[in-house]
Formats: sequence, structure tokens, C-alpha cells
Amino acid sequence: MRNTPTRSQAAFLEPTSRRLHHYFCLALLLIGTAVFAAQEAFANTPTIRLFPTTVVEDLRQTGNVARDMETGLQEVIGRLDQQQELYTESKCDGAENDSGCQRLARQIGATYLEMLTIMEERLPDMEHTVNNTRNSLEKGLRNELGKKMTPWTLQETLIGGNASKTDAKAAPTLRGRSGMRLSERFKQYYQLVATSGAKGDQSLAVLASDIYLDMEETSLLIQRTRQEIARATLMEQLNQSFGIITPEMVEVVGGVKSILFGDADNTALVASPPPGSIEQAYRSPLEQ
Amino acid sequence: MYLKLSVLFAALFFASCATNAPECGGPQSKNLAAAIDGTQTSLINGCHAHFDRYYDDLLSIAEGDPKPENKQAFSEFLVWSSDQGLLSKRQAQDYYNRYFNVKFMSMKGDYNNCSHTCPNKQRVLFNMERELSEKERGLLNISLDSESYYRADQLYQEVELVLEATCTACSAGS
Repeated sequence: MRNTPTRSQAAFLEPTSRRLHHYFCLALLLIGTAVFAAQEAFANTPTIRLFPTTVVEDLRQTGNVARDMETGLQEVIGRLDQQQELYTESKCDGAENDSGCQRLARQIGATYLEMLTIMEERLPDMEHTVNNTRNSLEKGLRNELGKKMTPWTLQETLIGGNASKTDAKAAPTLRGRSGMRLSERFKQYYQLVATSGAKGDQSLAVLASDIYLDMEETSLLIQRTRQEIARATLMEQLNQSFGIITPEMVEVVGGVKSILFGDADNTALVASPPPGSIEQAYRSPLEQ
Repeated sequence: MYLKLSVLFAALFFASCATNAPECGGPQSKNLAAAIDGTQTSLINGCHAHFDRYYDDLLSIAEGDPKPENKQAFSEFLVWSSDQGLLSKRQAQDYYNRYFNVKFMSMKGDYNNCSHTCPNKQRVLFNMERELSEKERGLLNISLDSESYYRADQLYQEVELVLEATCTACSAGS
């Protein structure tokens, strides 16, 4: 009896529960609309699968192999630099017949051979992981962009949802990244790909193309380097008996340094366009 | 008698030619709206064969007074041309989008990229480059829409990169 609401209480409770019921219905309606809208949006967005988990894993693996190679070579290359400096300071250029200079040249040659040996040991792993990444991306690009898309749909994918908005952050420009350690480059690729879920398809297509072309070049470079190492090793073994520093040796060391550790002088700066200042509200019925 | 008649016929013939041939001179006004009016009159009076030249003249006039509203003026002119039957809907879209849209009309096709775009990659890129200069005229010089123009320029560079990679992948798989 005590718990039975009085008329005034009932009059108060009834609209409250009705209001709650209304809120509940409204919330359900809103959730339903949101789910429907999300499904619609998802259905209308062409999703492209360019980075399956295997590619992400391959990129991480390649970064690790590159880091191991750098670690192994860093000490040898540092030693080589010191020896070359000593050779120059001792004014050995032009005094090749001097016994001290010959001894220095042999030491440099031995360190050079050491560098070649480390590269010879590490390059097959590197080649393997680079080729894996390249092959996975190649398949994705061929199927997703090459066979499933027309030129017009490709263009629409690249341009994304808003054709008039320039989003500098959404456009990764990575081609020709010299001036960066090899491992750092792969680490950056990995990070870009691993966090690519939040980005649109347009960034993914550019990113995948960029990495693929880089892998293609790297693979070719590794292939050529491996062929050259055998020849260079033989040549240096012969030179050891004479104690000569060949210009080729200096060139190879320079090349390896710039590939592995980057060359700050060659950093390509890409200018960004000035931001547009005019708002475009007009949209033509002819626009496609 | 026959001579007189033939002279008369010849005179009539030349006179009829002189009155029927429309004067298809370019727009006289440097004001875009007035120039469009003049062009519309000329076009419906039999000068439709000169549509390309008229369109180019109008673009030149608009370049003299660039403003965002010009885009709409051209759109309305092209819709009118299509409604009058001077252009097909597709032609009107092409005329508009080549100059005033970010997307490239040169990169269209119904077949997939591996089979259609890649074998003609150089030609597609060449046509896109040419279209980019048309967009420079329409978006930048006429409509002052620098943002859209730079987006088109960026799109061209992205297409170049993506096509290079995609076509390499297509050829590796064939």
C-alpha cells in the first residue's frame, strides 16, 4: 500500500517513463541510422587490398636485415675511413713505391675485402626479403589497380572523396629518398603501412606504387652488387700482393656508404604548392 | 534574251549567297556575359560549325577578367549549347571538365588498366599533360581556383607514379 504511488506521483511517473521510452526509441533510431549510414558509406567506398599482413611483415623483416647489415658494416667502414685518412695525410698519393705506403695500402685493401665479405654474407638475406616484398606488392598492384580498375576509377581512387581539397599530409612523397639509412627507410615504410588503416585508398595506392618501384630498384641493385662483389674480391686479392689502392675501391666504398647510411648532400626537397585561398562553392551540373 | 536571263540568274544567285551566309565573327565585347550573349546569337544563327573557335574566344575574354564566377558562366553556356542541340551532353561535359574540373578527361576508358591504359601509357600521360595546361587556363587563369589547379597537378604526378608501378606489375605478370 505504501509502495503504491499516489495519483500525483503516478501523474509524475507516467510522463517520465514515457519520456524515457521516447529517448530510448530516439536513441535506437539514431543508432540504426548511424549503422545504416556507415554500411552505405562502406559499400560505396572501393576498398583496395594492397597491403596484406604478409607485406607488412616482409617490410619489417627487410628493415631488420638492413639494420643488421648496417651494424656489421659500420665498424669496417669507419676503420676504412681512418685508414684512408692516414694514407692521405702520410702523402702516399704518388709515393706508391714507399714501403710504409705499401703497407698502409695493403691494410686498406684487407679492410676493403672484409667489407666485401660482410656484404656477400648479408646480401642474400636482404635480396630474399626485398624480393618477397616486391612480389607481394606486384601481385596486389596488378590485381587491385591493374585488373579491377578502369583509368577513370583509378583516378577517382587517387583523388579520394574530395576532389578540391589538397591534403599535403595524405600524399606521401617518398621516391628517391637518399640521405636516409636503408634500415630507416624500411622502418618508415613499415610505419606508414602499419598505420595506413586510417588513411584513404588514395594514399595507399601511391604508397604501394612508391614502395614497389623502390623495391624493384633495390632488388636490381642488390643483384648487380652481388655480381660485382665476386669480381671485386678477386681483383683485391690480386692487388693485395702489390699494395695498390685503386680508384674503383674508393668509389665502391663511397657507393656503399651512400646506399647504407645516406648522403645528406643529395637530399631531395620537394616544394609544396601554395595553399589556395578561394573557396569554391559552385559545382557545375556538367562536372564528373 | 537568254544572255539577259542568265545574267539575271547569276546576279540573283550571288545575291542569295551574300544574304544567306552568316557572319561568324568573334565576340565583340570584352565583357564575358555580353560576349556569351553575342556568341549564343551567332551560334543559333548558323555559326555552330565554329563552336571551338567561339569557345576559345570566350576563354580568352574570361582570362582578361578572372574571377570564380566565370566557372559558372561557362557551365551555363555549355548547358545551353547542349539544350540547343549544338553539343551532345558528353561533348558539353568534355568541354567543361577539361578546363574547370580537377579530374582528367584524357584518363577515361571502359577497360581495365592492364589491358587498356598500360599499352598506351605514354600517349595517356602526354594527353594528360596537355589537359593540365588547359586546366591551368580554366582553373587558375580564368576562375582563380588555385587550390583545384594544384590538386590537378598533384593528381597528374600521382597518376604518373601509380601507372609506372601498376604497368610494371602488369607486364611482370603477363
